[in-house]
Amino acid sequence: MTAEHCQTCGDVAARMLVLAVDEAEALALCQDEEGRRLSVDTGVVGSVLPGDTLLVHAGAALIKEPVA
Amino acid sequence: MRFVQEFRDAELGRALAHDIRALVEPGRTYKLMEVCGGHTHTIYRYGIDGLLPDEVELVHGPGCPVCVLPMGRVDDGIAIAHKPGVIFTCFGDMLRVPGSRGSLLEAKAEGADVRMVYSPLDALAVARANPERQVVFFAIGFETTAPSTALTLRRAKAERVENFSCMCNHVTIVPPLRALLDSPTLDIDGFIGPGHVASVVGVRPFQFIPAEHGKPFVAAGFEPLDVLQSIQMIVAQLVGGRCELENQYARVVAWDGNPRALDVMAEVFDTRERFEWRGLGFIPRSALKLSEAYAELDAERRFRTPGARVADPEACQCGEVLTGTIRPWECKVFGTACTPERPIGTCMVSPEGACAAYYAYGRYARERGVTV
Repeated sequence: MTAEHCQTCGDVAARMLVLAVDEAEALALCQDEEGRRLSVDTGVVGSVLPGDTLLVHAGAALIKEPVA
Repeated sequence: MRFVQEFRDAELGRALAHDIRALVEPGRTYKLMEVCGGHTHTIYRYGIDGLLPDEVELVHGPGCPVCVLPMGRVDDGIAIAHKPGVIFTCFGDMLRVPGSRGSLLEAKAEGADVRMVYSPLDALAVARANPERQVVFFAIGFETTAPSTALTLRRAKAERVENFSCMCNHVTIVPPLRALLDSPTLDIDGFIGPGHVASVVGVRPFQFIPAEHGKPFVAAGFEPLDVLQSIQMIVAQLVGGRCELENQYARVVAWDGNPRALDVMAEVFDTRERFEWRGLGFIPRSALKLSEAYAELDAERRFRTPGARVADPEACQCGEVLTGTIRPWECKVFGTACTPERPIGTCMVSPEGACAAYYAYGRYARERGVTV
């Protein structure tokens, strides 16, 4: 996700905020803390809603963060 | 951002470092391996090694998938990239990884259509936009990255995107750890475990490390306080005579991982009988290939890759670095013939590679006389 990190190593898993959801396609438009937007595959995290925070790696959400 | 800034608090970091210093027994050494290249990067970037007492030594493990990729696989990828009509896509960190006759970046300079993508989904979008071209995605990474590839392949199959295929180089973390632990020369007291791999596979697969090898294992997050707390947890186990599997990264890692991710990986991938790892040789059942159900999307079958096998350059000591036998600066070409600008070994290519991370951050601390 960032130039200084290796895409293939796990530490680039980025926290992203869900802005919009295409439930039929299992895709979500997400935004990271620096405002960059990315279409994210939500196939392995189940249902997501705008406002959820996802841990995203290589274009796929791995974890939906628990509510604090 | 929530769950980020609070794990970079300098005051808490100093307190944790103080706790570790108070824990260690004088005269005893604690040699800990951080398995994941992401941890290596955090350790050097935030100067964590400089906060630790001399008794605690950090050793960098094989957890950078770019670093463990043998040159032959790069050569195979370049062979596909040079085929007429092919658009070859890969992550940016793969572009400079040296094969025996150059890198993908050099192949691009020679005319091959090599494109950097941020995700497999991006590669699939390239395929949809170029139906007259063959689009290949060079998949690489541990179990953290494999779900993304698997989801994209499932999508490509469902949409019948026939001009898309994948050269699969995904590897799995447990087999190389077993290989390391079975080595009679291994001199490690405990493991800082790969937190994001564990978010997919869970903590349970690492149970064999304390159970069979008597070494503490702590699944760790990637912020500086995560790493410091994990070190504290391992040292506390060692001082207390305990040997357990612990999960420092519980805010992300469930004990059994992500079942949906494991399901899609099981559908799309099969385990290879063996796979070559740079510096570690062939390790049984340590990598993934496309399953028969997805064979039509397998670039190695579609393009009949040569299956190149290439020995590492003689000067390169990546294997010894990856197994913790030597430290990055002890390699005979570190920082001289081998630099991030002109890497000889893969450990110098990826920012998470032990040599590149040390070159970028650690060498300055060492020059200042800080213990590393």
